[in-house]
Amino acid sequence: MKKVLALKVNGDTHEVLISPNMTLLEVLRDKLGLMGTKRGCDLGACGACTVLVDGEAYLSCIMLAMDAAGREVTTIEGLSGNGQLHPIQKSFVDVGGLQCGFCTPGIVMTAKAILDEEPKPTEESIKKKMAGNLCRCTGYKKVVEAVMDAAGVKGGLK
Amino acid sequence: MRLPKFDYRSPNSIQEASAILLEEPSARVLAGGTDLLVNMKHKVETPAVIVSLAAVPDRNYVKKADGAVRIGALTPLKRVYTDSFVAQKLPALAIAASSVGSYHHQTMGTLGGNLCQQTRCKFFNQSKWWRNSRPICFKAGGEMCHVAKKEHVCYSTYCGDVAPALLVLKAEVVLTGKAGVRQVPLESIYSGEGKTPLTLQQGELLTEIVIPEQAADGFSTYRKFANRGSIDFPIVGAAFWTSKKTGESRIGFTAVDRKPLRALQLEDFMKGKQLGSEVIEAVDGLVAKEARLMLSSIDSLSQKRQLMGQLVKKAIGEAMGGR
Repeated sequence: MKKVLALKVNGDTHEVLISPNMTLLEVLRDKLGLMGTKRGCDLGACGACTVLVDGEAYLSCIMLAMDAAGREVTTIEGLSGNGQLHPIQKSFVDVGGLQCGFCTPGIVMTAKAILDEEPKPTEESIKKKMAGNLCRCTGYKKVVEAVMDAAGVKGGLK
Repeated sequence: MRLPKFDYRSPNSIQEASAILLEEPSARVLAGGTDLLVNMKHKVETPAVIVSLAAVPDRNYVKKADGAVRIGALTPLKRVYTDSFVAQKLPALAIAASSVGSYHHQTMGTLGGNLCQQTRCKFFNQSKWWRNSRPICFKAGGEMCHVAKKEHVCYSTYCGDVAPALLVLKAEVVLTGKAGVRQVPLESIYSGEGKTPLTLQQGELLTEIVIPEQAADGFSTYRKFANRGSIDFPIVGAAFWTSKKTGESRIGFTAVDRKPLRALQLEDFMKGKQLGSEVIEAVDGLVAKEARLMLSSIDSLSQKRQLMGQLVKKAIGEAMGGR
């Protein structure tokens, strides 16, 4: 039986009629049209679907949408405002921390969670926390560099 | 990958959750979801009812009370290892919790959920399509165990990182059910049966983890060997606790049997002995006998057996002041 869910995404509350077996990822993409969050492995192993739930990095493909009731969801669409890129997004563009870009929304959301928790992270800490975000195009050097850049820590990487 | 259909229930208390579980014997409890929902996507678990604990309050805490550290079952792993007492005084638990999956799994996954995770097997944790090439295995609802090549047994392996660490810290768990609340040693909740790995009674939920403060008096660590450092279950994981004061040592393993194990023969041998070459030389011979290793993963048994010894020796070395 379908259920009504009031879901708060990027500051707006949406009321959606969903089957309880829908994941948060499915509701974001298929019901709300927020296509920025990507479906990668769909099994919680690649990090492409990362969103913030109450500020924490969550894998939206292995979270029931129903469990997000009453919680604050932030997707990549919620980062930029007034046509301006978020500083983290700007760093990824400046440093070139992406290639095809499919994994990038997930990586940027993880970066946001890392920097909110640790405004001046070490390279080691970024690598550990970013390890669940897989990129099949390129390496991770520029990704780490972009997060360091966004934090204002150069760390001799450049 | 769509999840199979189920009836979603979201109780507001443990008592309510317990009542639903009694009413619906096939219901499954959902905490962080990082284990159950993946299995459901693979259609190896298709419960008719999901009891989500998302709305259950007051089970997310780490506190010290009555000579023990008490951790709520719904405490995310990240909160467990970032707690200053756990990080400083119970390193085995902190290291084990921070080595579970990826950072994301640690923010989503709960301590109680991690302890109650399903056992794993190369014939079980596969997509439906992959599994179609042979008869359904016993754990997934068929007759045959493809590991043992026998009917009506299951040799899937318990692979949780945190359980061995909590075993060496002598943790107990609080189970809440219709009959009330009982506190039991952690090892007693593991049945050693691959198909039904937990001994919890119908309607019972694991609600709290209790670690005696004496556990903080010793040295402890957790060592994990996995294919990737980033996001993997252990090929073998070993936890070690030792106390100079009492001369006692405890060793726990994961991914070597159908339940997390204590290496009791080795512990007996080590009793009262100084950590040193005599103990280290005895490790390989004694740990090899502890586990009933089966080919439930792609890793060879001899590699696993060697790793058991290696990890314990490294942990002992660390306790002796090495790295």
